[in-house]
Amino acid sequence: MDEARRAALARWLREAARAEDLVITGAAPLSGGAIQQNWGLDVTLHGRAERWVLRTDSAAVLSVSRSRAQEYALLRAALAAGVTVPEPLFCCDDLAVLGAPFFVMRRAGGIAAGHRVVRSETLGGGREALARALGREAARIHAIRPPCPALGFLGDPEADAGCAAIATYRAMLDRQDTPRPVIEWGLRHLERSAPPPVPPVLVHNDFRTGNIMVDEAGVTAVLDWEFAAWGDPATDLGWLCAKCWRFGSPHEAGGIGPRAAFYAGYAEAAGSAPDHARVLWWELMAHIRWAVIAADQAARHLSGAEPSLELALTGHIVPELEWEILRMVDRHAA
Amino acid sequence: MLREPPDGANLLATAREVVLRELLPVLPESAQFAARMVANAMAIAAREAVQDASWEADALSRVAALVGAAENPLRAFAAAIRAGRLDDDAAAFAVLREITRKRCEVSAPRVLKEAGRE
Repeated sequence: MDEARRAALARWLREAARAEDLVITGAAPLSGGAIQQNWGLDVTLHGRAERWVLRTDSAAVLSVSRSRAQEYALLRAALAAGVTVPEPLFCCDDLAVLGAPFFVMRRAGGIAAGHRVVRSETLGGGREALARALGREAARIHAIRPPCPALGFLGDPEADAGCAAIATYRAMLDRQDTPRPVIEWGLRHLERSAPPPVPPVLVHNDFRTGNIMVDEAGVTAVLDWEFAAWGDPATDLGWLCAKCWRFGSPHEAGGIGPRAAFYAGYAEAAGSAPDHARVLWWELMAHIRWAVIAADQAARHLSGAEPSLELALTGHIVPELEWEILRMVDRHAA
Repeated sequence: MLREPPDGANLLATAREVVLRELLPVLPESAQFAARMVANAMAIAAREAVQDASWEADALSRVAALVGAAENPLRAFAAAIRAGRLDDDAAAFAVLREITRKRCEVSAPRVLKEAGRE
């Protein structure tokens, strides 16, 4: 962030926070996602120091991703529903300030990095307690239901979220150059075994280890709301439990703890236990979704649009996802 | 045979050891992720270099036997699966497994090792 931008940001924040004494004492990039840029902001205002995060778009923006203003609205709705999220503070659509829309939220403590979280026996009060806490967080997200005027940008829910997901990933495959018979095999199995639709709820759509900050006491923040949509609540449970998001750990709930504890925490907050068969259906869908997205990411490298070793290596995740897809179909069918 | 050894796979494996043992320990933390990615890419490329590629032709002929004459047998295979023409077809499942196993040998040998232990 250059001097001019930082000065413009400080001016804008003074107005937004109604704090004439606001000073930015530090601004450093944080490790962000592939799509967004995150900046850690240290500020002083009203005579005290605060730690914030500024979230803005990087150059390559996925069309499926929500805008910063929408993500801000999702955070507000989540906060109101009791989900543990960083408090959203200000949102700016004026391109004159930073050249891209951004929002500012409080900075949560703790760590998110998946490989570190799954290795710890003590984070969040231990594996059992943390898995339970994750279940409660998911249930609180799913308590948000349409209609919800503040989330109007989400559009109308699909009549059948499962069938809609099958159609979405088939359409994505059709836009790719490489035929993917294994992914087709998985999708066809899902089509033949689809559970009946349930009333729609807010689905986070990237609720997994790596996107959830935790400290020794528990969950400090559920992050990365840009894929949220109306859908089947089991989508999030299957995504969190999917083997591809366990970071090599044997624990079924996100590599963190037992699946039973995760379900129990969910039941505690939701009032009823998750339907395990439905979660398994979405767990297979999770591997399919990640495989289709990984292939898309590699295509961005292969086409020359965005040469990147990280994107190139993401393509090499596809075979192991396919291995798991075949295993899961084989087990379901048995 | 006429090319000068060491071959590509040997060079990749040797260079990868340099990245992991000599460079990684002295790199700043901000560059460690990139260095690990470089080492990972070299490992994949080295495994690809030593794999006998004849399995691809074998697999494609098995696919062609399932879907009949087609300009692109793999595409025809994918389309037949989607259309439900190969539902519960044991031969189709077997060739999918074989293709995936060979793909994992290069991209993710770890999962094959795990499967072997189960």
